[in-house]
Amino acid sequence: MTTIAASGLSVATPRVVVVPAVRVSAPVRLNYPWKLGSMNRMVVVVKATSEGGISDKVEKSIQEAKETCADDPVSGECVAAWDEVEELSAAASHARDKKKAGVSDPLEEYCSDNPETDECRTYDN
Amino acid sequence: MAVSTIYSTQALNSTHFLTSSSSSKQVFLYRRQPQTNRRFNTLITCSQETIVIGLAADSGCGKSTFMRRLTSVFGGAAKPPKGGNPDSNTLISDTTTVICLDDYHSLDRYGRKEQKVTALDPRANDFDLMYEQVKALKSGVAVEKPIYNHVTGLLDAPELIQPPKILVIEGLHPMFDERVRDLLDFSIYLDISNEVKFAWKIQRDMAERGHSLESIKASIEARKPDFDAFIDPQKQYADAVIEVLPTQLIPDDNEGKVLRVRLIMKEGVKYFSPVYLFDEGSTISWIPCGRKLTCSYPGIKFNYEPDSYFDHEVSVLEMDGQFDRLDELIYVESHLSNLSTKFYGEVTQQMLKHADFPGSNNGTGLFQTIVGLKIRDLYEQLIANKATARAEAAKA
Repeated sequence: MTTIAASGLSVATPRVVVVPAVRVSAPVRLNYPWKLGSMNRMVVVVKATSEGGISDKVEKSIQEAKETCADDPVSGECVAAWDEVEELSAAASHARDKKKAGVSDPLEEYCSDNPETDECRTYDN
Repeated sequence: MAVSTIYSTQALNSTHFLTSSSSSKQVFLYRRQPQTNRRFNTLITCSQETIVIGLAADSGCGKSTFMRRLTSVFGGAAKPPKGGNPDSNTLISDTTTVICLDDYHSLDRYGRKEQKVTALDPRANDFDLMYEQVKALKSGVAVEKPIYNHVTGLLDAPELIQPPKILVIEGLHPMFDERVRDLLDFSIYLDISNEVKFAWKIQRDMAERGHSLESIKASIEARKPDFDAFIDPQKQYADAVIEVLPTQLIPDDNEGKVLRVRLIMKEGVKYFSPVYLFDEGSTISWIPCGRKLTCSYPGIKFNYEPDSYFDHEVSVLEMDGQFDRLDELIYVESHLSNLSTKFYGEVTQQMLKHADFPGSNNGTGLFQTIVGLKIRDLYEQLIANKATARAEAAKA
């Protein structure tokens, strides 16, 4: 807001930007109690893209396909919509299998990548 | 008296000259001996023979059981490329690389929705790129292959694929394009009948939220016209077809647990000798359960006969029923001939190694394992042949 023109430097103090703050759980004692109502209640939640994402996609695509096909069951759109359902179902089942298989021993995982290390050598005779 | 021989090596650049023949990437070194007229040739081959196998399968891409069994026969577990795109469809092991043909989609999921085509439609696939890259890999050149991300439905940045010893292309259209078909050394088609497909898809999708019996049925029905028009005709070009049908041993069975599997093997394919039961070219019906072997219900039934399939001479080996115990498996193996095993019991050993895979107790697992051994045999014969051909060319 203030510019120091004399020194040739322009320092602009940044305007206050309201950033979504982390929710404060305990009641906060404010010095200005009339500002209680204006506290920001937005919460940023980080959602990991997981298998839940694909399941949602499958569900959505099935609904879409049903809607598209309600109009015309033999149209190209209908067929393409069901093909999408099939593709997503396959992806979902692969993700499920991977998740099931992924619950493994960290040593096993390391050894499958580095079988020549001392910890992982196996003698089969 | 000590005798020692002194070998004098002449400088490489003075009396040696190199020629390279571009076709097979071999380097011949000729050393000219001024005293004698003999020419010494040393052969250095820097080429690697790559064989290409095509596998036509619906909704399976590198992660399917068949692929895992196949790569296991060659040794080593196939894994996605390290450090690359986590959604890559490629599997790499020491000897084998499995490429998913979905990576050659020219239209991504949104493009297909727009154009109203399914993934089965050839318009959604770039066959020119497929042909070029398979040709390049076969001749030993690494390629940057696109990645189709099944999760997002988009085409991701390409990944580098090094030419392997055995390249398997798996997907919906390995034999669709004629040029790609000519590059294949061996091709397999996995033909699942409609009833079995329905039963399997129910098993797979009923756990998904949103799916119901009707939606699964509608999905299969909607894809059927495109499937019959584009994918099914590839059957006639395959060297081996594995047909999965509902069992005939249990009347009115609709669970699809017991399967009747037929291995249809084309006759006259180079380096491929079909498996047979007792006597090649005859018709045999065999129920191994009896006095020597006791099986539980519904038992096992084998059939072997010569037949004609799309105007080709074929031999069909069929198995109906399930294996319950190890000794049933080894008993059956000991009576089959031309299995291309390296030792007695190899088929049983491979089946046991992956006893947790689906199909390990019926014909699907058995025939997939046998086809894997046949491919190994084909590979070794091809290599041996090329080596002798090269040796003869060098002598000439």
